[in-house]
Amino acid sequence: MKSFQYATAASPVSARELRGENGRYLAGGIDLLGEMKEYIAEPNILVNIKSLPGLNKIERGAQSWSIGTNVTIAELENHAELKSIFPGLQQAAAEVGSQQIRNVATVGGNLAQHSRCWYYRHRDIQCLKKGGDTCYARHGENKYHSLFTGNTCISPVVSNLSIILAALDATVTIQRGEKEVRLTIPELYAKAWDNPTSHHSLEPEDLVMKVEIPVQQRRSAYLQVSEKSAFDWALVSCAASAKADGGKLSQARVVLGAIANVPHQAQAANELLEGKVLDDSLANQVADVILAKAQPLSQNAYKIQIARTLIRRTLAQLKA
Amino acid sequence: MPSWPEQRTLIGSHAKRIDGPAKVSGAAKYASDVQPDGWLYGMVLRSKWPKAKITNINLEKALKIPGIKAAIMDRPGERTVRYYGEELAAVAGTTKQACLDALRIIDVEAKPLPFVVREQQAKEDSSPRVWDDTPNLSKPRVNEKGEVDKAFADCTAIAEGFYTTPVQLHHPLETHGNTVSWIEGELMAWSSTQGVSSVKDGFAGNLKVPQSQVRVVSEYMGGGFGSKFGQGVEGSLAARLSKEAKAPVKIFLTRFDEALAVGNRPSSFQKIKLGATADGKLQAFELESYGTAGIGSGGVSEGGGGGAEFPAPYIYTVPNIRVRQSGVNINAGSARAFRAPGHPTASFGMESIMDELAVKLNMDPVELRIKNDPSEVRRKEYQLGAERFGWKDKYKKPGTSTGPVKTGVGCAGATWGGGGQGTQAEARINPDGTVEIRCGTQDLGTGTRTLIALIAGDLLGLKPEQIAVRIGDTQYPPSGGSGGSTTAASVSPAIYDVCTKAKAELESKTGVSSGDAEKWSAACKKLGVEPLVVSGKWQQGLSSSGAGGVQFAEVEVDTETGFTRVKKITCVQDGGLIVSKLTCESQVNGGILMGIGYALYEERIMDDLSGVVLNPNFETYKLTGLADAPEIDILLLDMPERGVIGIGEPVTIPTASAVANAVANALGVRVGSLPITPARVLTALTGKSSSSPSA
Repeated sequence: MKSFQYATAASPVSARELRGENGRYLAGGIDLLGEMKEYIAEPNILVNIKSLPGLNKIERGAQSWSIGTNVTIAELENHAELKSIFPGLQQAAAEVGSQQIRNVATVGGNLAQHSRCWYYRHRDIQCLKKGGDTCYARHGENKYHSLFTGNTCISPVVSNLSIILAALDATVTIQRGEKEVRLTIPELYAKAWDNPTSHHSLEPEDLVMKVEIPVQQRRSAYLQVSEKSAFDWALVSCAASAKADGGKLSQARVVLGAIANVPHQAQAANELLEGKVLDDSLANQVADVILAKAQPLSQNAYKIQIARTLIRRTLAQLKA
Repeated sequence: MPSWPEQRTLIGSHAKRIDGPAKVSGAAKYASDVQPDGWLYGMVLRSKWPKAKITNINLEKALKIPGIKAAIMDRPGERTVRYYGEELAAVAGTTKQACLDALRIIDVEAKPLPFVVREQQAKEDSSPRVWDDTPNLSKPRVNEKGEVDKAFADCTAIAEGFYTTPVQLHHPLETHGNTVSWIEGELMAWSSTQGVSSVKDGFAGNLKVPQSQVRVVSEYMGGGFGSKFGQGVEGSLAARLSKEAKAPVKIFLTRFDEALAVGNRPSSFQKIKLGATADGKLQAFELESYGTAGIGSGGVSEGGGGGAEFPAPYIYTVPNIRVRQSGVNINAGSARAFRAPGHPTASFGMESIMDELAVKLNMDPVELRIKNDPSEVRRKEYQLGAERFGWKDKYKKPGTSTGPVKTGVGCAGATWGGGGQGTQAEARINPDGTVEIRCGTQDLGTGTRTLIALIAGDLLGLKPEQIAVRIGDTQYPPSGGSGGSTTAASVSPAIYDVCTKAKAELESKTGVSSGDAEKWSAACKKLGVEPLVVSGKWQQGLSSSGAGGVQFAEVEVDTETGFTRVKKITCVQDGGLIVSKLTCESQVNGGILMGIGYALYEERIMDDLSGVVLNPNFETYKLTGLADAPEIDILLLDMPERGVIGIGEPVTIPTASAVANAVANALGVRVGSLPITPARVLTALTGKSSSSPSA
């Protein structure tokens, strides 16, 4: 990596000032340091934000749960109350990386992480996402790539938390310059849909402060399929939430991960579940709607089958 | 003729690794831990082109970076590089950062040339040649016996299949590297190697240093799997940098580099036809195969054995055979010997077609094997293993498992030569009763230190911890490289010899018999001030060669996600006299876990457009993890009458074949390509396209 300066911020304002034009915020560093080692990111300064006050707490408010940006994935995974209220959140956290990674990685970092596309991550490939003029994956090795994209980059969103948080209608609070901005999960990733060089909608100076999950009666679940049993990225992930009164679902959300450059959902699919009793046939209809416009490439059509299975199995967990 | 004692206490026991505490506490210093005074970091500049004419490399800017003490070219003048990652130059400096900065500032003028990284394309005449004067596809090696066409015509059952295996990377946890001090004519190297003698020879030959001036030490090393017999280009560069900078230089490769230039197992594409009579007797076999060893197979310093050919029809005897095998060059790093070179590849194709034939014959796969396997030992192992595994209860017709998550079972067999000789050793009996055994072998992680301590302890009537085992140094009496499963068979007889002689000499010198610990102590005291030093060497009759081994696999395949889990592996392995049971079982465990990696996860992926290795890391080059490990049941057949036989290689051979057969048994459809990923399982189930790897 390129050599860099290092500073610790005492407040969001000082973090912004220390970052300057070409700095990066450092929390767990799992994603950022990897990019630096490959010369994908070359910041002149790293601003440690782990000491910012109040950002490492999980708190329940009247309307919502608040999870600070510096809460580690392990803390999230092991929080007993969250586990019983939002089992899907715990399932998604438990599938992140390895235990060692979860001990260090943070909620903010998980949401703001960059593409894992192996072309993007290769030090000697200047792909579209890095400002080059070619997407190598499109006609190359694309078994891990997207079925949906709004632009020409096909690297999928891989944040487990983004998928379950979308299903829970969570919002993310951002410190943007002088003001605080609240984004929905779709808003947090919208820019990646349109713009091949974007991983999310965050600007370089934006600082993720916290995630808020509305207090709700819905059950939730998260499942993923990987090539290995543990410590592996999802080939496809699925999160779902719904109220299940007397077997009938309401306010349902089904969100898929690792198949689009944003958490993938379809309003029509969510509406299809409203007031219905779940069975396999309904789950299959939901899958038909969500996956209707999938555009498989040479090596990733198999993801459609996994997505269909996960939609059915994740929804079934809501009933249980 | 010498023979092992009838009464054995330590030999064959489950005694712990004598260096276990040192390894887990960090006290054991691996080659990459060594930090001689004044040492410098060294790093290698590699080609960014899969093929290019390099017209100029300018090192001046690199030499101006603060902290950089030396910068050298791999070789002078214009040259052609033939794969992404080929060595171009190297730098040495006082910090890692200085070296990183220096590598990035070196100007390389290159004229990119057309390249090819796909076997299927490379073999076509229209593809760019890797070597201008040679076609990429080699002339086939042909082996023909009997009347194949006629024999097929007479067969009742014929199975045909196409099977592929990927390029597998060694990826030892300690990367390749050496710390070298070449100052005032003396070359001292701390190397991560499985052959201190071959590295010494390599340095001397490559750098034209008298062998008397070269010493190589490898006290502890973190794995090689066949790829660490030489000092490597990186070792020679470290030595030359050391000479230039007049300071020790340490070059240990990064994980990224490991995927490029330090060996691999060749790929294979195997078209196979196998025929039998109605009673299941194999009659005719035909194989046409090609595979790549990169730009060419490994040379002598890499241990050889790295070509794309493999034994066929592997462990079976078929009266009529026609075999045509070719290698195909591509612009990628060379193959090197890799744990049982050729065998896992051979086994996968042959054992797959055997199960396909069993289906055609409507015969139990174990029965078909017992009927055709020429090895009496392996036939017995199939019987023992089947019983232990519960084969009769578990085996169902292919595809008859019900529900979305299907179970299946499979089996496969192995063969390996091994053997080994030539080791010399020295024993020093000190007056205080302590013993040192010196032997110029090395422990590549298999437990050689423990093996020596157990033999010496048993023969001298001492505890293993009373034996100080000194290995991994070319100043000790010579032994061979640790490869080909030869170490145990080569080292054990020398230790026997030196200990037997030492004991006899101690008795004759002191007049005190040394039967137990107390007598030993009394005898040693009589030595006075000087230790008793005795030499010994390998003797005929204490070790031999030739191991079989069979494995059974039970898997669970989720047909709705394509995910495969190996539930259980049963291994029955013969290995002559078992010396160290614990480390022997550990070898079996490791071989099986590596075999599962070959079956389900591992594959070097080349990018067609850029020519780079796309997965030069453990994130996307996937290895078997703890969560993927199945229940492993091991039955070691102790055959003391055969003497010591190594088993490091045979235990990894049949795993992937057994797993693949179990998957086919579960699904009723065969995934003919390794690794068996969810994508390939689902593709095979939908039958929409062939299950061949990414073309």
